[in-house]
Amino acid sequence: MRQIYKSFVFHTIFLCVVFHNLSSFSQNTQSISGLVVDGLNKPLEGVNITLKNEFIGIATDKQGQYKIEGISKGRHIIEVSLLGYKVQTREIEIKNKDIILNFTLVEETFAIDEVTLQGKSKIRQINEQAYAVTSVSTKELLNSSVDAQQILNRVPSVRILQDGGLGSNYTFSLNGFKGNQVKFFLNGIPMDNFGSSFNLGNIPVNSIERIDVYNGVVPIWLGTDALGGAVNIITNQKEEYLDVSYTYGSFNTHRASVNGAFTNDTTGFTVRGNANYNYSDNNYDVLVNIKDELGNVIENNVEVERFHDTYKSLTAQLELGFIDKSFADQILFGVITSGDNKDVQTGATMETVFGAVKSKSYSIIPTLKYKKRDLFTEGLDVSLNTSYNITKTENIDTLVGFRYNWYGEKLSSESQTDAELGEANLLKFDDNEFANQLNLSYLLNEKHSFAFNHSFQYFKRDEFDEVNTDINQYFLPKRLHKNTLGLSYKYQLNKKWSTTFFGKAYHLNVESSQRSGNTIETTEAVEISNHNYGYGIASSYFITPNLQFKTSFENAFRLPTAEEFFGNGLTIVPNVNLKPEQSKNLNIGGSYNFKILEDNHIELGATYIYREAKDLIYDIVTVSGPTSKKDNLAEVKANGIQANFGYRYKEFFNLSANATYQNITDEADLIYNDYSGFQPNFNKGARIPNTPYLFGSVVAGLNFKDLFVEKSNFNFNYYFNFTEEYFLSSERYGYTDSKAIIPRQLSHSVEAIYSFDKGKYNISLECRNITDEVLYDKFRLQKPGRAFYLKLRYSI
Amino acid sequence: MNRLNLNLNRIVVLLFLSFAMISCSNDNEDNDPVSRGDYALSLAIQGTEGNFSYYTVPFEQIMEGTLTAQGQGIEQPGYYDFVGFDNTIYSLGGLDDVNVVAISQNPDGTLNQVGDVSFSNSLSDMVKAGDNTLVSVTMSSSSDIITFRKFNSNSITVTEEKVVQVSEFTNLVGPSYSGMVVRGDELFLSYYISDPNTYDTNYTDQAEVAVFSYPELEFQKVITDTRVGPIGGFNVKSGLVKDNDGNVYAISHSNPANGFSQSTQPAGVLRINAGETEFDQNYYFDIVAASGGFNTAHLKFLGANKAFAEMNTATRDTQERWSDGPLQSAVIDFETQTVDFIQGVPEHKGNGRRLAALQEGDNIYLCIPEDNGIYVYEMDTRTLTATKGAKVQASFVAGFFKF
Repeated sequence: MRQIYKSFVFHTIFLCVVFHNLSSFSQNTQSISGLVVDGLNKPLEGVNITLKNEFIGIATDKQGQYKIEGISKGRHIIEVSLLGYKVQTREIEIKNKDIILNFTLVEETFAIDEVTLQGKSKIRQINEQAYAVTSVSTKELLNSSVDAQQILNRVPSVRILQDGGLGSNYTFSLNGFKGNQVKFFLNGIPMDNFGSSFNLGNIPVNSIERIDVYNGVVPIWLGTDALGGAVNIITNQKEEYLDVSYTYGSFNTHRASVNGAFTNDTTGFTVRGNANYNYSDNNYDVLVNIKDELGNVIENNVEVERFHDTYKSLTAQLELGFIDKSFADQILFGVITSGDNKDVQTGATMETVFGAVKSKSYSIIPTLKYKKRDLFTEGLDVSLNTSYNITKTENIDTLVGFRYNWYGEKLSSESQTDAELGEANLLKFDDNEFANQLNLSYLLNEKHSFAFNHSFQYFKRDEFDEVNTDINQYFLPKRLHKNTLGLSYKYQLNKKWSTTFFGKAYHLNVESSQRSGNTIETTEAVEISNHNYGYGIASSYFITPNLQFKTSFENAFRLPTAEEFFGNGLTIVPNVNLKPEQSKNLNIGGSYNFKILEDNHIELGATYIYREAKDLIYDIVTVSGPTSKKDNLAEVKANGIQANFGYRYKEFFNLSANATYQNITDEADLIYNDYSGFQPNFNKGARIPNTPYLFGSVVAGLNFKDLFVEKSNFNFNYYFNFTEEYFLSSERYGYTDSKAIIPRQLSHSVEAIYSFDKGKYNISLECRNITDEVLYDKFRLQKPGRAFYLKLRYSI
Repeated sequence: MNRLNLNLNRIVVLLFLSFAMISCSNDNEDNDPVSRGDYALSLAIQGTEGNFSYYTVPFEQIMEGTLTAQGQGIEQPGYYDFVGFDNTIYSLGGLDDVNVVAISQNPDGTLNQVGDVSFSNSLSDMVKAGDNTLVSVTMSSSSDIITFRKFNSNSITVTEEKVVQVSEFTNLVGPSYSGMVVRGDELFLSYYISDPNTYDTNYTDQAEVAVFSYPELEFQKVITDTRVGPIGGFNVKSGLVKDNDGNVYAISHSNPANGFSQSTQPAGVLRINAGETEFDQNYYFDIVAASGGFNTAHLKFLGANKAFAEMNTATRDTQERWSDGPLQSAVIDFETQTVDFIQGVPEHKGNGRRLAALQEGDNIYLCIPEDNGIYVYEMDTRTLTATKGAKVQASFVAGFFKF
């Protein structure tokens, strides 16, 4: 791993030098060269030689030699560093002569890990942004058999509620915000309409470098209308590596992942990509009630195997392009393709069991990424992300005349029209989306910097039912154009204090058609436009280098979707007066890290969370008819706290824990239905139902170096997840002892990893839910019990 | 090392303390006394995201104060319909599947629930068919079958299922349930034709009632009549009413307020005489003329030729679809063919569902939505007067019973 990291650093620095050379071609410049050795006079390879505060640097070669060319005249500070050695700096003045400068590095005998902790990794830089952001590095997890979903489920304030096992539908909740109130990005590209086949459960840890979770306040460069926050998944950005892994586990689960990148140093040509395959029968045991043909429950709490829950997915991402050319620091053309095939086992509860319902989804997403630093003038950086998604989704419910019971037995229903979900249908959605993000940033000087973002999204959906063709005339086309403009100004008073002010402007244009009378002939085209303006502030203050306070606020918006405006042409009627959802989000947090007796590193952090959301959109069901429409009626308030604790003893032991408490209450004064009109909200002040409010996780790890053979590493990790009991419906009404609840849940997982040849070969064994606890999500849908996974990984 | 231990301990203790505080602050459980009483209301309460939960709560009296489900009642999240026979309330519905639960009174006045039966399609209705026997029907305009089920009313178990092909009684797509009665050897089932996708009703030229044998549930015939349009309407389930002598009254309204997109025949009431299985051609109750221009979708039989009716006081052609209103409470007499309005009940909206009215002696109890909330009204069906009672804390009332 370290090798790769070194070469990564090397490449970046080297290419920066190349770039610098190109841009300063005509200047009169000199070079510095020399030799770096250790205390025993042995040449040191991979020593970073950088000119401080300039984008110039290089690493020493195998002979310990280095040469930096193209250095302008004047004073420079040269810094020499290598992991495990004391950093040296020296001031030099370049006149008309090339300089030869040799260094002897002194070993820092006591702690390699100390250096790692002091040198701010990318993760800490992200965490130290003024935004309330949690950044999770996958560095320690690469041998784990986890995916993005499980990684995120250990992040404070995040809960992922799943329908079942691998590939099942899930609800991502961040401080209680869910669905499209939280936006997802893949390397900054919006994933809103990537299709179900490209989801969090399909992205294995090996394709991910880190995941950033922004709580409530979203920086402008993501350019989106997120109400409750955003999640940005950053895939591997290394320029030269290969990572191949294969996992086999319980429920006939197979997961294969190939990730790699190749870059030609001289031409700058780069190829990078990943391919991931997931398969599982998901045939884990569940506790169910067995019914006879008449519907009578004849056996209670019987353990049966799920029988129609196979999931299969394949995703691949390939990017080609150039890095560090005169016209671009990075220009990459790529394509993401994915497809999945899913059996659906249950309805919203486990009382409904299916034996033939399926869904399929395919996506193809061409992408273009462009990045250039110092475009036209020094300090002006530009980046562009463009993607076009073509997604097809099929929901298949075409088996008529049968029902299934939990034993997998087919029971005849004597109908030729009724499928398992209702009237037989084969519904297809064709979604097309074009998304473009332009980011400009300008660093005026050390104190002032500006950033600008323009995001554009165009979305179109076509629906078609192959079985009920007469219904298709009611599926109205839906088109949506969304423009988001963002402007931010960052004021860096000094090294300790920085503040960012930002404003966002949203413009939405939706085209569809609606019926003006009772018949389909009265359908006419309609167009809606609307504007909204949001703003925010994020500030960070370092009292000491180890103690940081930060606060952030955003008045955030979530624009309605075409479906929310226009319904489905049938029973969901249009509401063209729908307003965006809005929320005032505030985070106040602090973090502190310190050492006790050199080797004990402790990190503490806590964030207070306040959310005041209004105009939330929900379905107004007509009491006296079959129709419903969307309206802005709900209001919620959230008061929460998330806390995290980390402890590390050398490289030998680490422990981290986090907990979230969120009191999310219903604050709407009025509720509406067509029968009683506007009424006082009977649930005002009550905690919102079916949402976890107290949860947390603990991770502990032991690490043994060179346990059996040299260059090997043995890891033992323990994971613990906790969710407090919560109500499925209003906490206020009904007998408290007989209310439907999701009980308190505790799950424990352990993992043993053995790596040898410096992490080149890895084998890991994981046992999830070791106590075989009955775990539930959503409307008491049971999740897998005890499961074992074996993972093999090869990495260079 | 000592210093380290001390610090670590402190941190651990602090963490636990902060958690304990958080957990404690939530343990303010209300210890409301358990409510009891002979009245029971099934209250529907709209939740944060627009969905409903139902709470069946016992009350000692219903004429004073506020009736609330706070900390009280049997909770049922989802969609539920409530019927009552022989001192038992039966809930039909669910969150995902559809189940039948019998709610009865414990000797101490609290409520008790039993039932372990569940179906994938909703039950359109359930009626009493004899001692210990209930009959349910499942009917959907998009399906090609209807399903009858016989229940043992004590054990709440299905004893028999009978599937009938829709093609046996109509060639049209979309018969929708509107009413069912079991009388002696026959089961009468009324329906109207509704497009499964648009809910448009394109066939409104005649009344249709399917006749089945009972207890065999074999299809016998369809009886039709062109003096009125289809019997019953969307979701109110009172298209057919049986009196104590065995006469069955069929009510037609073809009203947009209750789901019709058009009407081509007058509204009115027909009769199937006791012992017969055809419409009595000599009986026609012109309810529109008797009420001064109105019709009705909600009926509850009171006894002695009389029924309680919620009269819709707007003419059909000015009605808004699915509105189920404006309504005015009345007593109708099938024999004298009169409609007498009850005084003191404000004009109100219906909830487009089964009428949740309780008959106790000469009184009818019904919850009426007003501008500032829902109130119980006690209506004397002899003096035709009404008294306003307790306020009800609910979005609507789905059931009103007395043990």
